[in-house]
Amino acid sequence: MESAQKYSEPELVALLREKSQPVFHYLYEHYSGALYSIILGIVRDEELAKDVLQEVFVKIWKQVDSYDAGKGRLFTWMLNIARNASIDVVRSKAYQQNLHNKELNEETRLLTGITESKTDHIGLRKLVHHLKEDYRLLIELAYFQGYTQDEMSKMLSIPLGTVKTRLRSALIQLREMIKP
Amino acid sequence: MDIRAYIESGAIESYVLGIADQQEAAEFEQLAAQYPEIRSAREAFEASLEQKALADAIAPPPEIEKALLEQLSFQKPAAVIRRLPIKTYIAAAAIVLLVISGGLNFYLYNRLRNSDDAYASLLARQTSLLTDNQSIQTRMLDMYNSMQLMSDTSVTKVSMTPVPGKTGSFATVFWDNHTKEVYLLPNKLAKAEPGKQYQLWAIVDGKPVDAGVMGECAGLCHMKNIPRASAFAITLEKEGGSPTPTMSQLYVFGKVS
Repeated sequence: MESAQKYSEPELVALLREKSQPVFHYLYEHYSGALYSIILGIVRDEELAKDVLQEVFVKIWKQVDSYDAGKGRLFTWMLNIARNASIDVVRSKAYQQNLHNKELNEETRLLTGITESKTDHIGLRKLVHHLKEDYRLLIELAYFQGYTQDEMSKMLSIPLGTVKTRLRSALIQLREMIKP
Repeated sequence: MDIRAYIESGAIESYVLGIADQQEAAEFEQLAAQYPEIRSAREAFEASLEQKALADAIAPPPEIEKALLEQLSFQKPAAVIRRLPIKTYIAAAAIVLLVISGGLNFYLYNRLRNSDDAYASLLARQTSLLTDNQSIQTRMLDMYNSMQLMSDTSVTKVSMTPVPGKTGSFATVFWDNHTKEVYLLPNKLAKAEPGKQYQLWAIVDGKPVDAGVMGECAGLCHMKNIPRASAFAITLEKEGGSPTPTMSQLYVFGKVS
């Protein structure tokens, strides 16, 4: 974050909407690392992550008009764009096929969490390892794989209410871990 | 509603991370609009999430920004890029204008100088024409006066015819009966040699009386007044005239009728 210039969030958003190049540079310099880290944590492949990061910045650029400051911070909005784009890749047929060929059984990987690749040390994923196992699974499925709570309820044969309660407890623990 | 419990339930985190389903999201948005505590709890979580993400940042390969700069269209930078050449264009245009202006100055200066010259020569011509005009007018007036005189019935006309040996010479005297003024019209007289002048003589009681020398005159030459005369004659004398006529140089002679 070497950029000398500092923008308040409303300034940043306003200038992004004006398609200002200096502000794009600032945004990229300031946030590309954080977003790349988030993407890498989900897609777990540098080549794919690069493509997703590029796609994410294009989306941020083109969709900044739809950002609603009343619903949250700009970064949260960008994080969710990055997360959704990453999940789309992860859930694509090509990715699944590739994963299937490359790795062992997906189910084994998910349920045991044994894939100790270097991406496991990135950001939230690293924190998730400190969670209880049933919490870890739910966060993995919900945050990293993009399953809905309803899908998880069916997949794991757990009542929806239980899924919600456990996920929320897991998130509270995560929240405490990331508190400065 | 127990706001404290809601804040501690994880519903906020679930919403922020996009895990909440539609129903939960709607509930959150409604409560957040209602309770500032919920909003500030959400903001606090978002801030720590951002802090954490920034702390965990991994620099992406530099080629991505390059690719993005090529892929995206920017508004402002286009203006900035355009602005620089505009300065150059203005500078170039200024230089071109300066050169044109310099050339124009030179051209106009030359034209001005030519015009000045032309004006001066026109002025000179005009002055000379005016002078000519004046002299012509003067001559016209003289001629007119001469004509008046010639046709005046109180003026006696004396035609002087050549003496033997001076064939071709002819002159006329107009003599005013009242004023006694004498005018000479040199109808046909050879041009006097340098140092010589024609002199008019009035013959009074058989003797020649000086009536003046003939100078350069337009039309009629005004001579000396002669009260009485029986005839007039012209001789060629030395310049300024002689007291007595040189008879060998007699050219024309005419009796007063």
